[in-house]
Amino acid sequence: MDNIGEHPPEITPPTETWEVELQKVSIVRRILNSRKWYGADWWFVAVSSVLVVIFIIIAIFPSLFAPYDPSALVGPSFLAPGAYPPVPELIVSNTSSANSLKDLAVTSDQPRPTISVVQGGNSAGALNDAAKEIDNQIKNESGGLRLRPVIDRYATVEEALQAVVDGKDTAAVVGSDEFVRLKAQYPTLREGESIAGGAKTAGGFLLGTNDIGQDVWSRLLWGTRVALIIGFSSSLLSLIIGVPLGLMAAFIGGSFDRLMSLLMDSMYAFPGLILAIAITAVLGPSVINVIVAIAVLYIPTYYRMVRGQTLAVKEDVYVEAARSIGARSREILQRYIFPNVIPSVAIIFSVNVADAILTGAGLAFLGLGLPPTIPDWGIDLARGQRFIQNAWWLITFPGLTILLVVLAFTLMGEGLMEIFNPKLRER
Amino acid sequence: MHESTTMGINAIPGDKSTNTEELVQVEHLRKYFPLQSGLFATLLTRGQIQAVKAVDDVSFNIHKGEVFGLAGESGSGKSTVGRLVLRLLEPTTGKVIFDGIDLSSLSSEEMRRMRSRMQIVFQDPLASLNPRMTLGMAIDHPARIHLTDLSPDQRRKRVIDILSAVGMNPANVFYDLYPHQISGGQRQRVVLARALVTNPALIVADEPIAMADVSVRALLLDLMMRLKKEFDLTYLFITHDLATAKYVCNRIAIMYLGKLCEVGPLADVYQHTIHPYTRALLEAVPVPDPTRRRKEPMPPGEIPNAINPPPGCHFHPRCPMARTNCSVDEPTLRELRPNHSTACHYAEELLK
Amino acid sequence: MHDDILYSIRKLVVEYTTRAGAVKAVDDVSLDIRRGEIIGLVGESGCGKSTLGKALMRLHTGPAKITEGELWFDGRDLMTLPIEEMPEIRGAEIGMVFQDPMTSLNPVQRILDHLTETIQTHEPEVSDADARTRAEELIERLGIRKERITEYPHQMSGGMRQRVMISLALALRAKLVIADEPTTSLDVIVEAKFLDLLKELQKEFGLTILLITHNIGVVAEISDRIAVMYAAKMMEVGDVNDVFAQPKHPYTQGLLRSVPNILLDGAELYKMAGAPPDLSHPPSGCRFHTRCPFVMDICREEVPPLEAIEGAQSAACWLYPSVMAKRLEKEHA
Repeated sequence: MDNIGEHPPEITPPTETWEVELQKVSIVRRILNSRKWYGADWWFVAVSSVLVVIFIIIAIFPSLFAPYDPSALVGPSFLAPGAYPPVPELIVSNTSSANSLKDLAVTSDQPRPTISVVQGGNSAGALNDAAKEIDNQIKNESGGLRLRPVIDRYATVEEALQAVVDGKDTAAVVGSDEFVRLKAQYPTLREGESIAGGAKTAGGFLLGTNDIGQDVWSRLLWGTRVALIIGFSSSLLSLIIGVPLGLMAAFIGGSFDRLMSLLMDSMYAFPGLILAIAITAVLGPSVINVIVAIAVLYIPTYYRMVRGQTLAVKEDVYVEAARSIGARSREILQRYIFPNVIPSVAIIFSVNVADAILTGAGLAFLGLGLPPTIPDWGIDLARGQRFIQNAWWLITFPGLTILLVVLAFTLMGEGLMEIFNPKLRER
Repeated sequence: MHESTTMGINAIPGDKSTNTEELVQVEHLRKYFPLQSGLFATLLTRGQIQAVKAVDDVSFNIHKGEVFGLAGESGSGKSTVGRLVLRLLEPTTGKVIFDGIDLSSLSSEEMRRMRSRMQIVFQDPLASLNPRMTLGMAIDHPARIHLTDLSPDQRRKRVIDILSAVGMNPANVFYDLYPHQISGGQRQRVVLARALVTNPALIVADEPIAMADVSVRALLLDLMMRLKKEFDLTYLFITHDLATAKYVCNRIAIMYLGKLCEVGPLADVYQHTIHPYTRALLEAVPVPDPTRRRKEPMPPGEIPNAINPPPGCHFHPRCPMARTNCSVDEPTLRELRPNHSTACHYAEELLK
Repeated sequence: MHDDILYSIRKLVVEYTTRAGAVKAVDDVSLDIRRGEIIGLVGESGCGKSTLGKALMRLHTGPAKITEGELWFDGRDLMTLPIEEMPEIRGAEIGMVFQDPMTSLNPVQRILDHLTETIQTHEPEVSDADARTRAEELIERLGIRKERITEYPHQMSGGMRQRVMISLALALRAKLVIADEPTTSLDVIVEAKFLDLLKELQKEFGLTILLITHNIGVVAEISDRIAVMYAAKMMEVGDVNDVFAQPKHPYTQGLLRSVPNILLDGAELYKMAGAPPDLSHPPSGCRFHTRCPFVMDICREEVPPLEAIEGAQSAACWLYPSVMAKRLEKEHA
């Protein structure tokens, strides 16, 4: 125990404190350990970040997960979720020797085969695809056989089958379950092979199909890409513009601050969706314009938050200390104020993305912004609205997906805000 | 150069810096903080803008190499004086002369460069360190600004040396730590290190140990005194704790509501007090000895508002010695004993 | 002074859940508070004294919990009461004065309303007029002019707010007042007057006061007894004159030597080596052994119990035969 002594007392670095030990522990353990400390918030952040990561992966590689092309008319309309479309098969008369579609191939001087289908089913599409495929296969073979059937459409299955019975068509392509049902009425017909085009629909439609036969599930997955692109890009754009403005306004103060705040407050006061509608209406439909419109919406949010934080930090003692050591204003802004303001920005970014996705869907729902060729949840919502009675799944699943994505981003942002609140970080 | 009547009294035995050249001269310093601004407010108050008279005509000198204490309660203006001396605040009127240079005559760029010679240590070490900078970076920053002839390696070495000098060893480990990873006492050492890296002549210490643990305070004070010898420093030691001031200050000034009450060598002010406020203050300090409990009553009332301080002598409503003219005439600081001044009309009555 | 014990704290343990696990902020602490005394509870920051203060009213929520011990207040163990009954005791029987008077009073309530509400919540039969009279008398007694009773907290100074806090405790004739760093944010003259006030209240109302502070001087000025805590444990308890004259525990010795004394001349400040331990990994045996100049082998291994050393003075230190004797007793038991 020294008195005012000769040697400076040795201060050991924190080698034994729990914090240093904590640093030695792997990050996985640390995350698990923090669970007890942060309670429910930890779970929110954990679950929602996993969801967010999943969504991002889906957005980057939608084709890995989506069984069908989102714009392709791959199935019968209004197929309920989980239901399997009937496998289309070739129906010929008992007297015919053909069994498969290929058998119907003829040479160019022979009359083309006519095949009857039911309008609106997946049979027509399947037949078309299968015929093309086979045609491509055989056209280079010797013999000059081609398969280019003429397709006759009928309103009902019965009419299509009757046409074969009457000899008007060479064959029919109908769903196998339909033929099974009606087989007894048409004793002169027999089943051939199933149409290869059915292989494409063999995957089934997880969430059903929409009014024109597109796979709902695939559209949802592909829609993620658009939603996330819009969400992230617009938030990023708002950030890039709003943050520096907020920093400068708070730091410089004076009339610049007053003017800027006036402008931002006016923008903020304007109802968001209306502003976005106005901008997209003026600029025209495209993804870029939607991004810009939404970005404009959120600039005031970043501006206000950053300005408020900067005003607070500006008065902190370490900023005064920075002045006292002779640092220039630019340095103070860069190294003392900015790094302390940024964490809060990162957190509202997450919530912002959620909000932007919601706004984007809203715009698309109203028919603004996105060209109809791009699969988007909002457009699906709009289309599905009409059929809510018969085909509830058309509006439900896009709606649920939007809900889930928005929830995931919001929870992650809010949870992070709880955890990274600087007041909690104590020693 | 002053007549060296101050020589013997100012020097601490063993302290070799008996140079009595004035490092800092504060002349009639005033700092008023206006309460409202703008046209409307001026109209309302008919041109009489109300202000907090935080510092009201304060003059003193700090000798080179001494520890000059500035003590007072809240509202006394002592912290404001500290910042005015460093020109972190602009005075309303008055001058601060540092090493012969009038600070108000400097341009902002010149002032910026002057800062390498005068540094401040704040009360709250955690608040005064940027939470996003490592300790090494924090100390390196002033070096980077002012020690421009050093290469980055030389600079790093200097920072490491300073960290060692304040007792943070092994320094290269502490270099990369963040403020929240070390204790309060250690942080204050880092703040000291940052203040020292440019080799300043003056350090303003604003309640440097108030937030440290009791057992750490003595260590910090000890460190500050050792550093003073090692780096040939002068301290302006701002405090409210008269008990601690006794251990480190050579001279001390007592402030009340923006004005100086008493200035003089510490032993004189404490033992031959010639101002009633100082007297009350010294009486009030709790003594860690139950056999010597305070028997004197305390002055009535509380510290009044700094916006409308009592007329005449600010202390008169609470003063046991107040006479009628105390509420009318403002006392000025006058030298009553050798190098020992007071601002009290009737201080003679306190002479023993 | 009475030997009648108002509050008997027995083997109290308060645990905090932190990121690094459970930390015992108060570890097996026992203390008797005598009726009518002012007892000072001192220690450095982190020693557990504030935690102990709050535990006495079972105020802890969230990550802090009383996990063991008994709190015998005025004849009954508060730990056996359901937590819903505690508000009846708080304010009415045990009052608390906190460190920061700025934040412990509701800024949108007048002082009058603070007081009358407190009175009428605990004694609903009191009329508005009677409550107001009582409130006015109270603040006059505490040195505040009764016209100021209609003011808001922000219109009053720090010292006055602290007096208002005391008056809230007195309004219901609380038996015990726990004052947690009541003067730390006050200027020294106001502090001195506040301490005078506490002493007067002790005399006039027979008030028992637990004064929690890190300021040894304050304790020396007004306490009858002093209790010293270190690293969540009680190190020494005794009459203030005895402990200051002859501190038994090495920590107390070091602590008293390191406190600046304005009346002493020419002294140098004594410094204790080391620092208080990290409570999530406390040292084995006696918590102070890593800094103790008199450390022995047993100190590193076993925690010394708090035992009477001389008269009414107790210390938890193996240096003393009575403490050692207790251990031998236990061994033979």
